[in-house]
Amino acid sequence: MSGRSRLAVCGVLATLGTACAMLPLVERTVWILQAALLLCVQTAVGVAARRVPLARWLTVAAQALVVLLLLTLVFARERAVGGILPGPDAFEEFGRLLRQGVDDVGRYAIPAPATTSIRLLLIGGVLLVGLVVDALAVTFRGAAPAGLPLLALYSVGAGLSKGSAGRLWFLIAAAGYLLLLLAEGRDRLARWGRVFGGGAAGAPAGVAAGLAAGGGPALAPVRTGRRIGALALGLALALPVALPSIGGGLLAARGAGEGPGSDGGTISAVNPLVSLQNSLNQPENRELLRYRTSAPSVQDLYLRIVALDRFDGASWRASERRITDVPDPLPTPAGLTTGVRTARIGVSVAASDGYGQNYLPLPYPAERVRVPGQWRYEPEGRALVGDHGQTTRGVRYQVAGLLVEPTAAQLAAAPAPPEQLLREYTRVPPAMPKVVAETARKVTAGAADSYQQAVKLQDWFAASGGFRYDTEVRSGSGPDAIARFLEEKQGFCVHFSFAMAAMARTLGIPARVAVGFTPGTPQPDGTVSVGTKDAHAWPELYFEGAGWTRFEPTPSRGTPPEYTVAQAPSAPDPGVPAPEPGRSRAPQPAPSADGGCPPELKKVDGCGGVVRLEAGGSSGGTSPLTLAVVIVAALAALLLPALPHLWRRRACARRLDGRAGPRPLAAWRELTDSAWDYGIPPDDSLTPRMAAARIVRDARLAGPHAEAVGRLATAVEQTLYAPSPPPAGATASADVEAARAGLRASAGRRARVRAVVAPRSAVRVVWACAGFWAGVRSAARARLRRLIPRSRPFP
Amino acid sequence: MTTYDERASHGAPPAPAEPGGAAGPAAALTATAERVRRSVESVIEGKPEVVRLALTVLLAEGHLLIEDVPGVGKTMLAKALARSVDCSVRRIQFTPDLLPSDITGVSVYDQQRRDFEFKPGAIFAQIVIGDEINRASPKTQSALLESMEERQVTIDGHTYELPSPFMVVATQNPVEMEGTYPLPEAQRDRFMARVSIGYPGPEAELRMLASHGALSPLDDLQPVAHAHEIGKLIEAVRAVHVAEPVLRYAVDVVGATRQHPELRLGASPRATLHLLRAAKAAAALAGREFALPDDVRALAVPVLAHRLLPTAQAQLGRRTAEQIVVDILRRTPLPDPFGRQPPGARGL
Repeated sequence: MSGRSRLAVCGVLATLGTACAMLPLVERTVWILQAALLLCVQTAVGVAARRVPLARWLTVAAQALVVLLLLTLVFARERAVGGILPGPDAFEEFGRLLRQGVDDVGRYAIPAPATTSIRLLLIGGVLLVGLVVDALAVTFRGAAPAGLPLLALYSVGAGLSKGSAGRLWFLIAAAGYLLLLLAEGRDRLARWGRVFGGGAAGAPAGVAAGLAAGGGPALAPVRTGRRIGALALGLALALPVALPSIGGGLLAARGAGEGPGSDGGTISAVNPLVSLQNSLNQPENRELLRYRTSAPSVQDLYLRIVALDRFDGASWRASERRITDVPDPLPTPAGLTTGVRTARIGVSVAASDGYGQNYLPLPYPAERVRVPGQWRYEPEGRALVGDHGQTTRGVRYQVAGLLVEPTAAQLAAAPAPPEQLLREYTRVPPAMPKVVAETARKVTAGAADSYQQAVKLQDWFAASGGFRYDTEVRSGSGPDAIARFLEEKQGFCVHFSFAMAAMARTLGIPARVAVGFTPGTPQPDGTVSVGTKDAHAWPELYFEGAGWTRFEPTPSRGTPPEYTVAQAPSAPDPGVPAPEPGRSRAPQPAPSADGGCPPELKKVDGCGGVVRLEAGGSSGGTSPLTLAVVIVAALAALLLPALPHLWRRRACARRLDGRAGPRPLAAWRELTDSAWDYGIPPDDSLTPRMAAARIVRDARLAGPHAEAVGRLATAVEQTLYAPSPPPAGATASADVEAARAGLRASAGRRARVRAVVAPRSAVRVVWACAGFWAGVRSAARARLRRLIPRSRPFP
Repeated sequence: MTTYDERASHGAPPAPAEPGGAAGPAAALTATAERVRRSVESVIEGKPEVVRLALTVLLAEGHLLIEDVPGVGKTMLAKALARSVDCSVRRIQFTPDLLPSDITGVSVYDQQRRDFEFKPGAIFAQIVIGDEINRASPKTQSALLESMEERQVTIDGHTYELPSPFMVVATQNPVEMEGTYPLPEAQRDRFMARVSIGYPGPEAELRMLASHGALSPLDDLQPVAHAHEIGKLIEAVRAVHVAEPVLRYAVDVVGATRQHPELRLGASPRATLHLLRAAKAAAALAGREFALPDDVRALAVPVLAHRLLPTAQAQLGRRTAEQIVVDILRRTPLPDPFGRQPPGARGL
């Protein structure tokens, strides 16, 4: 096989390998066989065209034409002229299929059904990438750039799929690309003729050297190439495991959901259980959001990402919901009536660049959202979803919302919720263990109404139930996860919220789980910082009149809402021993300013949120030392870029006033450095008069400027080589000034600016420092040698 | 063999120098050199650097070897230089049958005086033009050795001093090698410089046709400097100051020829001496009282190249001695202007 044919085959393999990354996107995988067949035909046309040989662009054009015919044959045969030639009808059909394909992509969740339009998109895309790869790698002989279209193809697959087998697809795609690179390297090597392969064990020399012919065992360079490729692949697969990252969790771009649709599409979220735990277990608390709010207290300013409303007995998930354009203002929250006190708040949020999430964290309920980018609205959970890959990365947005402050009495007196809502949000699967409902009944025994039941549940989890907050607990899945949690009494917010929401549902209270962030830590500058450690999940229970109402069952996390605290029992259940403060991972709480921390929560460090608020406020004072360090650092940062200029000015002054050695020599050094600053580097292989001639020539100096340079060179010659030095005069400085004026006049604007701002000759400082350091080292070494006399052998 | 006295029957004396003029003796000497140079250049069109080199060699008390193809003006240059200076000139046409005694002279028995009488040979002149020097046998060529180096001739135990200034201007043809005897190394080493004239440019050739078409330009050439003026110039050259870094640089350049891997034979210490004297002469011609590394660089190729013997590999690689000298010049570091600063002066 010739080198080019091998390259073409490797191009096909690389394209197909990369296309495999798109296999998980579609239900049936037959399309890849079709794509492979068409790709082979397309490549064969390229091989034939190159053998003719056709001009390069003609080869590509021929391949494109054949691709068009093949696609017509496969996808628009009925509308084609003679069943193969694409006429206007066929193009119309293609257009229709493409439009429909785009619609289908938005409509279907992954894996999508392999409709004709989606197949056209897939096969057409693969063929297009295959054509570009073939053209780049074989026709134009550049295998390395062919990686770009391959990367594009891979990105589509990797970006949309759930990533369950991402490593496998990556391996296949990367191996294909490496194969292509190897083939190109081999081809390039073969053009030099016979290659001595070193120890091609047992192979006859003719075979071993037959690299160009393509036969025989692999030669040393090829073997080395393979080893390097395998090593690179291994490293690429292994390193991400070892490196710390916040990607892949709840906080990554595709953490909470995927496949944001276009018009009329649906949205579903993945299980946030694992990802949330990952976020909480990050070694450091990375800032994700920073917001500023008009609310007097941020205690209740939870930022919601998504609401999980579907309970399958094991875990909570978000239902597939229709999404719409973002209305302005957002609709009135479900169930909220005017009788309940509300306070209007404004929040300005800035998401960090490292936080890519396609749900917008919002306070609940938001009324108006001003956010740049493509966002869509999910009415049921009142969430904003990024469309067309829109994420929160670096987004700044403003939210106007309400702080709903129902009273305990209002919640207690809440009428029954609407029938449909009640049915949907109290649904529990039959397979749910009985212990959940039984525990719920037992805990809430004696409660007069739903509100009492909810408060008792919250208190039981947060204080009296003996639960312990632990993020290291295995998230758990399966039908028994909640029952196990109720038994082991160890878990983190996900367990608490899941369990409480499930138990509320068994009691007939509409419940769902919200995922988002606790209010975060206030900063000295008035903003509030929300980090990875603030990721949280909490149950939302529905009360007619107040709507979806937040509860906080997780001990030591967040703050319980006022309406649950006011009605909390004044004394803890005497039967429950108070847990030791040290058991909790949260910091020891301090008395809060508003005194909103109930005693039973204090027992289990339940006032973490308040603590953080206070801690944030107290850390606002900056010590004078820190201030001084900051100021010095800022001055140094400002001064640093000006250092070359400052050094140049000082050196120039020293040279021209004679402090830096004999004046002609110092003036000469100044002249050569000035020329260097203007782009004429010094050359040690030139004598002064040669250097002067070069400066005059390169800088196109004339008249007095050129004469000044000549005079300086003559003065240097006299100083160095004449029996008597030239008479001391002040002309050297004037000559340097004249020469510099000439250099300045002949240089362009950019060169002039650079000569002032970043003079090239300032590198002499570095050289001087290096020389000084070398001197110090050699002196130290010499002294050390004197101190430690060499041991002499005995006579 | 042809030898003849070319001493011109000078009609008008050369334009006098300006001793003690306002410009001083140095300027007067420079003016003399300039007159000689212009006079020679009026004959050799478009080759100022060759003329300058010839003059440099004259002032540096060296001998000049002109090597080039026939017809480019080798002999013309030698004769023009000789005629421009008012001194004794002899031309020797070297042929295979030329005998050493033809050059140095011979002792003839005078029967009346009953004693041997010395008949001086052609070498007894201030400027000796040796035409086609490689056509004479090595024996005859060797007759020049003593006279060129020591400026004397020893015959039958008697040593005869040669007049001053004394300069041998020899020509040879590098193409026509049949029936020639290449100059031995010792002989080549005695020439201070070798120069190739080269073909003139089209403009220079046109000017030559216009001016020299009818009669020989040498016919109109009058001496422009007395021999004693040339002697003063030579004295001035001797007085030119050479700083230690320049001396060291010259030694470095010559020393590099002895270590260069492409050279079988490097340059001799005599070559160093010649290089330095030539550099001093060039400095004096430029009106300077001190020599520069630039002078050494400019003269390194003509002074050193003809003494060097490239190795067989270098010859196979078509490397000429001139190229190798240029290579050496590129590699040899120049004196560092900032390396000899007085203590306390800082480089920055």
